[in-house]
Amino acid sequence: MVLSKETKIYRQDVREKGAFLTPQQREDLLKPYLPDPPPTMVSKAPMPRKGMTQPVRSFAIKQLHLFVFTIMHLLFSVYIRIRQTYHVLWNQIFAVLYYHHKAPELIKQDVKNLNRLPGHMSVILELKGEERGTAGVESLMDDLAEISAWCACVGIPMLSVYERTGILKAYLPSTHRTVTSKLHAYFGRNIPSLQVRAPHIPSLLNGGSSEELDHLDSPSGHLSILLLSAEDGRSTLVDLTKTLSEMSQRKKLSPNDISLDLVDAEITESVMGEPDLLVLFGPNVELQGYPPWQVRLTEIFHVQDNTGVGYQIFLRALHSFAKAQMRFGR
Amino acid sequence: MASMHLSQIRRWLLQSPPVEWGIMQLRELLIGALRQGSIPQHVAFVMDGNRRFAKSHGIETVEGHNLGFEALARVLEVCYKSGVKVVTVYAFSIANFKRSKYEVDALMDMAKVKLSQLAQHGDLLDRYGACIRVLGQRELIKDDVLEAIDRAVNMTAKNKDAILNICCPYTSHDEMTTAIRDTVIDYSRPLPSQQRSFSESHITHTIRSRHLSAGTLKVRSHSPSSGATSDTEESISTSSTLHPDSPPGDSMEGEDDGPKSEGFRDTFPDPETITPEILNDHMFTAGLPPLDLLVRTSGVERLSDFMLWQCHQDTEIVFLKCLWPEFDLWTFLPVLVEWQWKRRNGLEREKGSRGGIEKLIKMA
Repeated sequence: MVLSKETKIYRQDVREKGAFLTPQQREDLLKPYLPDPPPTMVSKAPMPRKGMTQPVRSFAIKQLHLFVFTIMHLLFSVYIRIRQTYHVLWNQIFAVLYYHHKAPELIKQDVKNLNRLPGHMSVILELKGEERGTAGVESLMDDLAEISAWCACVGIPMLSVYERTGILKAYLPSTHRTVTSKLHAYFGRNIPSLQVRAPHIPSLLNGGSSEELDHLDSPSGHLSILLLSAEDGRSTLVDLTKTLSEMSQRKKLSPNDISLDLVDAEITESVMGEPDLLVLFGPNVELQGYPPWQVRLTEIFHVQDNTGVGYQIFLRALHSFAKAQMRFGR
Repeated sequence: MASMHLSQIRRWLLQSPPVEWGIMQLRELLIGALRQGSIPQHVAFVMDGNRRFAKSHGIETVEGHNLGFEALARVLEVCYKSGVKVVTVYAFSIANFKRSKYEVDALMDMAKVKLSQLAQHGDLLDRYGACIRVLGQRELIKDDVLEAIDRAVNMTAKNKDAILNICCPYTSHDEMTTAIRDTVIDYSRPLPSQQRSFSESHITHTIRSRHLSAGTLKVRSHSPSSGATSDTEESISTSSTLHPDSPPGDSMEGEDDGPKSEGFRDTFPDPETITPEILNDHMFTAGLPPLDLLVRTSGVERLSDFMLWQCHQDTEIVFLKCLWPEFDLWTFLPVLVEWQWKRRNGLEREKGSRGGIEKLIKMA
């Protein structure tokens, strides 16, 4: 905090590129705002003759600070309760106003006015800590299936799903089955072709059933789902470094050949490219180990204080991506 | 009309000495109070919105950047007074070189002027105990600016209390690529051959002579087949002791290369020992505490190639609507208090769950 008069002098100095003030004048300008010199300097100066008052004073100041700290946090916890309630209410209103009714036509209607859609959407889901058993995996899979169905309705061709532990990768076939049945619930008989894969795991296209293969360029479109975990983040970069080191040790590559484009090409090839939109369903922005290389320019969307997957969040993310205002109701 | 008068009265009131003094005391009080809780050790800022601020206030872009610098000074004061150890700011992206030459030059000029002013007040800077570091691609900076940077960096290098990282010209992709390259260079450096007091050739010689003497003794008593097996065993063991550290694939590749290094090939550190921590130590932020908080102003919800490696785990990322020149204690305080609140709640929840488990154990 600088007094206004001194700010004026300072700005005059800036405008003349430092020619207005001499170093000495500038120092004088600064002096009142500097903290006390470090203790080594203090000891050289004669000790203050106040004696006992110094510790008493600092004790009193500490008590005052503690008091203000307590008040501040008391006020803040009141504020955050109000904010959370407000956001929950708002979210409920959105959820009532915009419900998908499992109808692709309604969902298409909701995004009709958007002038751009993400070509590659990414979401972060969380395995609930309390229900680490099969219940947790099932609810995770159900969330994933819902989001996939919405993406298919909107016409987003690529969905990547990040979940820290990567438990879904172990259930690739049943994930495919769950999503397919969800798509049937939305679309009826003619569902878009579906591909589920994970890095370094062979992909599952349409559950391996041959009769649906000719639907590949069906009018209902195509959706590919990519399952990601913490493994695909830092570890991938480490693996790449290992491979490059080995090649360099065998003189197959000079370290100078390692360029940004090379790394980018390799990472894109082995995991995925940069998503256009990343939707978080948690209460705050925390990437939980999401692949660092790929989030470079990704739009990150989250709703403050939200917990859980919901269609209204998905829709709001798409609207904010297209920089469109959401009006109330359809 | 009335609103204009009102705002003028407000400004007059806010700038009157007693009110200014009061606000200053309040700031000190609040910062002092903040120190009573836990404070993030490493905070990063994306200083976004200088240009938009200039545009909306009808001033020149360069003037907007100047105001942005003032905001940075204010924020640094808040950070260091409240106990933040490391502040990292995104000053200039490699992509920013694409902006108009006029603006780039003005920004570089500003950096030069500020840093050389800083160098004039070295002793004052020591009071904060802060040192300055510049992270990024130095080769892209002009020589005269680089000189000012080096002077300021060297002058403050001895300060240990706080660190200001200025990322200029920086992108995270570039940082990660550099880290990978440096790691590869580290791992392509042959290990120094260990000087032990035993020589391999002497050992082989001893083994051979032992075998010879044993053979001459035993050949008559045993069948010759046992001698043959021991022979092959020996050849295997000698070939593996020659290159104890090289991976098995290496020797095969080496034969393709031809007899470049006769008999004695360089041994390299094992690439399998590369860990995320090793890569982390090759980032520009090596040795600094992990990033606790990342703040981006101006309502853009993107990371824009900043601190990707550092912030993708459990860093709290906050996107604020206000533009950077407007950023001050009053906008930063809620962020810090919320961070403290979450940290406390998180700890309590952890404690609570652990307590629950303990209770269960006791019940059983």
